[in-house]
Parts: sequence; C-alpha cells; structure tokens
Amino acid sequence: MESYDISLEGMFFSFFLLLIPILISYYMGLKLISPTIESALRMVLQLLFVGFFLTFVFDLNNALLNIAWVLVMIFVASHTVLKSAELRAGRLLPMLTFFMVVTNLTMLLYFNRFIIDLNNLFDARYFIPIGGMVLGNSLRANIIGMENFCNDIRRNENRYLFRLSMGAEKTEALAPYLRKSVGVALKPTLANMATIGIVFLPGMMTGQILAGASPLVAIEYQIAIMITIFVTTIVNVLLGLLVLMHRGFDEYGMFRKEMMRNS
Amino acid sequence: MGILDIRDLSISYDGKSVLSEFDLSVSKGEKILIKGRSGIGKSTIFRLIMGFGIQASGEILLAGIPIDADNIWDVRKKVAYVSQDTDITEGKVSELIDEVLSFKANRLNISKENVEAIMSDLSLSHRILNKEYTRLSGGEKQRIALVLALLSGKDVFLLDEVTAELDVTLKQKVVSMFFDNPQWTVLSISHDREWEEKATNIIDLSGKVN
Repeated sequence: MESYDISLEGMFFSFFLLLIPILISYYMGLKLISPTIESALRMVLQLLFVGFFLTFVFDLNNALLNIAWVLVMIFVASHTVLKSAELRAGRLLPMLTFFMVVTNLTMLLYFNRFIIDLNNLFDARYFIPIGGMVLGNSLRANIIGMENFCNDIRRNENRYLFRLSMGAEKTEALAPYLRKSVGVALKPTLANMATIGIVFLPGMMTGQILAGASPLVAIEYQIAIMITIFVTTIVNVLLGLLVLMHRGFDEYGMFRKEMMRNS
Repeated sequence: MGILDIRDLSISYDGKSVLSEFDLSVSKGEKILIKGRSGIGKSTIFRLIMGFGIQASGEILLAGIPIDADNIWDVRKKVAYVSQDTDITEGKVSELIDEVLSFKANRLNISKENVEAIMSDLSLSHRILNKEYTRLSGGEKQRIALVLALLSGKDVFLLDEVTAELDVTLKQKVVSMFFDNPQWTVLSISHDREWEEKATNIIDLSGKVN
C-alpha cells in the first residue's frame, strides 16, 4: 500500500472548505469571521514551523533534543491549561509544570519501553508524536477539571465553609469538590473511549492507515495509546487539582479568589 | 479572661466602617444573644472567629490564645459554627452525616448512635436520612445543620439565625437544647424572642448593651 501526498491543488480545496463557516458566520452575524481566519492562519504557521522543525529533529534524532522538545510542549501545555481555566499562572505554573513533566515523561517512557518495546526509548519518531498525543488529549480534561473546581468553590463556598466549621481539614472539606471535578473532567475521555471505532475513527489510527499500515496494527496502537491517554489524563487531572488545593488556598484555608483572572 | 475574648474589633466594608472598637468577653457557660440591624456586622464577627477570610483590625482570643493562621484549624475543631446559609450539600442527608462523621477530628468524638437520638429531640424522623438534602424544607435543613453541630461534641457554639424558619415550639426546643446545658458557651444571632427570653447577656450592636 502507498500513501498519497496532498498536492497544492488539494490544499487549495481544503482551504476552500473554510468558506462555509465564513459564510455561515456572515449570514448569521456570528462574528466568527476574524477568529476563523486568525485561527486558520495560526494553525498553518504553527504546523509549517513544526513540520520543518520535526523534519530537522527526526533527521538529527538526538535524545537530549527530543527530551527538550517534549519539555517545551509540556511547559506550553501547562501554561495553556491555566490560561484556559482563567487562572493566573504565577502561583500555580511551576508546580503544575513539574508534575506534568513527571507524569507525562513517565507514561511516555513506559509506553516506549513496555508497550512498543523500543530499543531507543527517546527515538524522535515515537517519543515526540506520542508525547504530543498524550499531552494534547489530557489537556482538555485538565482545563475542565480546574475550571470546574474553581467555579464550584466560588459558587458553593458555603458548603466548603460548613465542612470547615464541622472540624474538617482542608483536604477533607475539599474532597467533594475534588471528586466532582475529576468526574466531570474525565467524562469526555471516557465517552471517547466508549465510542471509539463506532462513532469516530481516531486521528492516530486514520493516520497510520493512510500511511499504509495494516488496520490491525493501527488498532493495536490505538488501544495502547487510548489506555495511555486515559491513565495520563486521570493522573494529570488529579495532580493539577492537588496543585490547586495546595497553592490556591491561603493559610486559613480560604480560596485565593485573586488567583482567578475574572476575580 | 473568658473562653472567648474580642478586643478592639473594627470592621469596614468598602471603606465604610460598620463596627468600631468592639469589645466582648464571654465566660464559659455564658449564653449570649447578639442582635442589631441588618448589615451591622453580626455574622461577620462569627466568620472572623472561624477565620473565614474577612479583613478586620483587633484581636480575638479563644481560651486566652489569639486566633491566627497557626491555630485556626484547632479553633475550628473546638468551636461549632452554624451559618444562616443552609445550602451545605447535595446528595442524601445520610451521606452528609456520614461525611461529617468521617472527618478525622470527629471520629473519636461522635458516636453514630447519637444521631437518631438528637434527630428525635429536634422532631426529625429517621426517614429523612434517605431524602435528598436539597429537597428538604428550610426548617428541616436548619435542624440537620444543628444535629451535626450538636453531634460534634464541642462546647462553644456560634449560631447564626438557626431558628428563623422553625415554628414556635421548635424554636423553644432548640433554645432549650443549647441554653440548658451549663457547660456550653453559646453565642446566638437571632431576631427570635425565644433566644432573648433565656439569654444571660444581650449585645445590641446598634449601640445598646444590655
């Protein structure tokens, strides 16, 4: 089997499709024309950069450079989590980044060593794209978890104070918020896992099939990556919320509302 | 020196002073009613004692020790505070009780057998345990919060409008439960005359001290 490169003409037809959301936005007054064009341009520029950069990195295949690139990805991811959850980075970013580095690198090395049994654990062809997939998929859950936790605490502060009044320690009083936020955050990933293959064919599997791999090999990879994504997601979400519980409250156990951008 | 001392307490909201240089010394076993017009800072005093994030100047001491960040967690284990806001949980009443009983501070102090006895004292049927808390009436919610406060084994109580939604018979019952125990120190904010009739000291923050 061979894979087909997309020609310039093909790329033109791809961009041509963007006229549909632009026209919808125009006729419905959605004010989404500029954001659509801006996002599409950003996507093109970022992917062009990554495309050239990855070609260079793959050719070089230097373990240190590969690790450095994954670290950059994790740093950007943790920054994005905080920004999207409307949280100020100052108090949370260093600890969140640290935990995300530990979790993601551990899972990535486990995947490469025990699941696909690579000789070179830091092989750029696996280390970087799989790192990106795992990180990218757990990102949304992290954002949902943190956002839900902060909003819940602000909206239902009295429930937290009541528990403190009843002698609870901070972790005991926050346990209901933690449980709820982890549950809410994991819902999309669980739904993904439950409907995969029937409702949608995931990008990785589609990519492998398009690149000429047997669907059975693609399925093996997909199962392994989904499990890895799920495990990384739950650990990332949990650690992210623990960072919030540790750094997001003052010495009296009061939520630092000033930590939120919309406070 | 009392079990609870408030010295030179001043509270202001948005730059406007609502309470200025307030002093209060509460002896062990005393039953105090705090009253005054709305917004004068009655509930704020309780929130300050519990360390619930209010800006104020002055000093509050529990058993002679100034309350600060280092000991606030111990204060919360010694003082029971029931707020007027009864939105304290979602889920079943029994789950809330189990959760409160599971807190480390309560494991040794609270016996589960006491739950139904105290509920019965407050005219709550055991069937309420299986009900969703959010579906209870205002009066039932207040009584559940009181059951938990009474279960805690603490002997200093801060009660903020805890009988507002109860009928007269229940108001009298609740007041008697808290005021008839000579070991308990009780500070209550209320507009109900049942508290006023039995209080040993009435503090009117509007300016008059009885």
